[in-house]
Amino acid sequence: MRTLCLKLVPLVAFLIAVGCTLAVQAAPDDAPSLLISRQLATTRQLRIGDLVRLSRDPAAARGRLFRVDGIYEPTPDPMRFAQQRFEARLHLPDLLALSGDGSPGDGADTIDAINVALADPRGAARFARDLSGRVPGAIAQAIDTPDARTSTFVVIERFHFAIAIVSVTGSAVFLLALMVMLVDERRETVGILRLIGFAEHRILLQVVVEGAIITIAGAVFGLLFAVMTESAFNRFFEWRYDTPLVFVRITAGVAAQSMLLALPLGIAASLIASWTFLRRGLMALVRR
Amino acid sequence: MSAALLEARSVSRVFPMRAGPVTALSDVSLRVDLGEYIGIVGPSGCGKSTLLHVLGCVDVPTSGAVLFRDREVGRLSDAERSGLRLREIGFVFQRFFLLPMLTAWENVELPQAEAGAGRGERRERTRELLEYVGLAGRADHRPSELSGGEMQRVAIARALANRPRLLLADEPTGELDQATGDQIVELFDRLHLDGTAVVVVTHDTSVARRAARLLEMRDGRIVRDSRQ
Amino acid sequence: MRSIFRVAWLSSVRQPGRTGLGILGVVAVGALLFDMLLLSRGLVLSFRDLLDRIGFDVRVLATDATPLTGPPLERATATAAAIAALPEVEAVLPIRVRDAELAADRTARLQFIGADPQAKPMWTLVDGRDLVDARATDAPLLVNRNLAASARLSIGSTLLLRGVCGEDRDATPPVTFLVTGIAEFPFDDRSATTAAGRLGDLRRLCGDRDEDRADMLLVRSSPRAGSDAAAERIRALLPELHTVTNDEIVLRFSHVEFSYFEQISFVLATVTLFFGFLLITVLLTVSVNQRLGEIAALRAIGLSRLRVMVGVLCESVLVVGAGGVLAIPVGGVLSLWLDGILRALPGIPLSVSFFVFEPHTLVTYAWLLAVAAMGAAIYPMRIVGALPIAATLRREVVS
Repeated sequence: MRTLCLKLVPLVAFLIAVGCTLAVQAAPDDAPSLLISRQLATTRQLRIGDLVRLSRDPAAARGRLFRVDGIYEPTPDPMRFAQQRFEARLHLPDLLALSGDGSPGDGADTIDAINVALADPRGAARFARDLSGRVPGAIAQAIDTPDARTSTFVVIERFHFAIAIVSVTGSAVFLLALMVMLVDERRETVGILRLIGFAEHRILLQVVVEGAIITIAGAVFGLLFAVMTESAFNRFFEWRYDTPLVFVRITAGVAAQSMLLALPLGIAASLIASWTFLRRGLMALVRR
Repeated sequence: MSAALLEARSVSRVFPMRAGPVTALSDVSLRVDLGEYIGIVGPSGCGKSTLLHVLGCVDVPTSGAVLFRDREVGRLSDAERSGLRLREIGFVFQRFFLLPMLTAWENVELPQAEAGAGRGERRERTRELLEYVGLAGRADHRPSELSGGEMQRVAIARALANRPRLLLADEPTGELDQATGDQIVELFDRLHLDGTAVVVVTHDTSVARRAARLLEMRDGRIVRDSRQ
Repeated sequence: MRSIFRVAWLSSVRQPGRTGLGILGVVAVGALLFDMLLLSRGLVLSFRDLLDRIGFDVRVLATDATPLTGPPLERATATAAAIAALPEVEAVLPIRVRDAELAADRTARLQFIGADPQAKPMWTLVDGRDLVDARATDAPLLVNRNLAASARLSIGSTLLLRGVCGEDRDATPPVTFLVTGIAEFPFDDRSATTAAGRLGDLRRLCGDRDEDRADMLLVRSSPRAGSDAAAERIRALLPELHTVTNDEIVLRFSHVEFSYFEQISFVLATVTLFFGFLLITVLLTVSVNQRLGEIAALRAIGLSRLRVMVGVLCESVLVVGAGGVLAIPVGGVLSLWLDGILRALPGIPLSVSFFVFEPHTLVTYAWLLAVAAMGAAIYPMRIVGALPIAATLRREVVS
């Protein structure tokens, strides 16, 4: 079910912003509970049942005791994949009590965001507009509205696409070089065929078909290789960044795109390579 | 030390093939003296070229020994055998095997450079050799600009670059017409008169007849060794 | 050696189409490789340069959170004075950064930097007067070009701002500022709207509720002592605070925020190098296979095995060398394009580049290409080195 997200700052980020001082202690049974992230638990060697003191200032002047009731895996966030996910989740009243400074109007009843789950998610954009109009000062936004995160990935996508263009250009040159060599190996054969009466277009067709077969075989092999290395890349990045995020995914669309790009490039390369040969004189073809 | 330049003692060469081993040479013994002119004839596949390759240290016999100036070639390292071919033995091939991107001059100069000859020495020797083979005016031409006979003459000049004592020629007139082939054979005659030992493998009897000594081979053996 | 190179050169140009394509291929992979080497450290170098240009080499924060995301420092004035008294320290600048909005348009947000105008500011004045030159009665404001354009401001304009300082935004009264100058702020990205004013005015913006706080203290160490010594003294003086030098910030960013670009540059550099290696290997192998008779004849006339193998290596070096040299200007142009794409990332300061050249990049690049050239030549050299001379000659005659 889709959710409607009000503003950006998650509760968890708030705790990082205020700075938590964790101190493991023994006892009170009435300490409120919290959940901590797996990364925090591992780094600070915390277990379920441990007592920790949270404070919004480094001196822990107004700290409160909490009991670790659970350890959770944070939702992967592509915007923060490189960051250590040291976070905790509290009941809202406990967080508000912790974050307030005690002075009048300290915003004890103030939060950063409200997530809304709609009965009909399709009406999210309209609902957001309605709500913005009815509650001045509040900014309501459907979660699929483009924002800074979207533009980040748009830029990254553009960057990857630029790299792909350069790679494909290099591959095309490579392919042409290969085809030139392949055709050159057949030079004498082609020359003899021409000598005995084979027409140019007949030989061209044969070369093109051969080039297409090589291209298809190469493209399929390349795709299989990419699929095999996909998991290796993902495993590496998952290990490197301690995240379940997937970095490389070969979809049917990507595979189709690769094949559709490779095939015409391969055929064009074999056409160009063989055409330059067939333009030569017959005797030049058969002699070394 | 004997006058023998090259000696093959009970040399055999067997090629392992998928269909079974093929004996190209069988117990061949031969001696080549300084300044001798030998022709080797025989039907196709009788082992003539194989014998030439073994004598020229291009191939190693399966059994037996080849001695060059009393040194057993089989005991030499690959580098030493290369040095032998560079300085003592000249090779001429049926298909010339000139480097197509070098001029006639550069093809002849190449082995001299490899042997460490100085620039002046190389220049002098290359000019001398091209004049010797009658191609002084074609020094700057590439092989593609030369006729078959001219290419073979350049190949002979290259083979003589480091003043070898022995010249081995494998079907040197095989790709040439009669008239051109005669020119090549005349060159061999001159070489022989100038003191170089020459061994020519050929199926052309007119070429073979020019040699002072004729060896006839059949089925990997020397069946007749006569001096003319 | 010269004759070996000459023969290798002539062998290469003998097949100009093939050699040309090989060089072109190396240009493509070389350009990408060069760019990935630039990218691998570009952001770190550029970011370090940015930090150094600001003129402060140590930062003091309340916690080890990323600057401006953690809690503020309390008793900022006293803390700054204590640090400034250290002999290793030349200057201290408290900085407070808050969000503000135009009173006339509450959707128009900007970042307000409050700093002591007497200290060397962390902005560059491009027009008008700086804060330090303003009269005491004015609430001077410096704005960046984006803000000046979007709010139609010029020097001498007045601007009503309301601070976004706490949970209850409506309670803070708006403050009138006088625009005295246009400035460039080093951490602005292309869409940033930034203004700078005096610390006291920023407190007024937030209804005097800020008391004596700062988001961070920028410290400039004395040239004699250096940043490390200054940081050590500050840590000893104030162990409860988080003191970090520019080098340490850069290191942290390179391990976290910038690590993606390091990783991707490594992956792409490896792939392109492998690609180039493959291309040259195939090129050379086919070329050698077509010349086996020639090579066998050269061996037969006395050229040593090493000589012909080195000849093949020289061919590889020639093709990779020519392509590698041509790839550098191509890579330079390509890096401008790629840099333009990446600098559109939100939050990236305008003055930061992703692709930064340093001389030792060329050394690394040349070294990698040399390894690729040698690696690519191994297989064809092996063919040539293991060539059976007699069998090859025989085969050539038969064929």
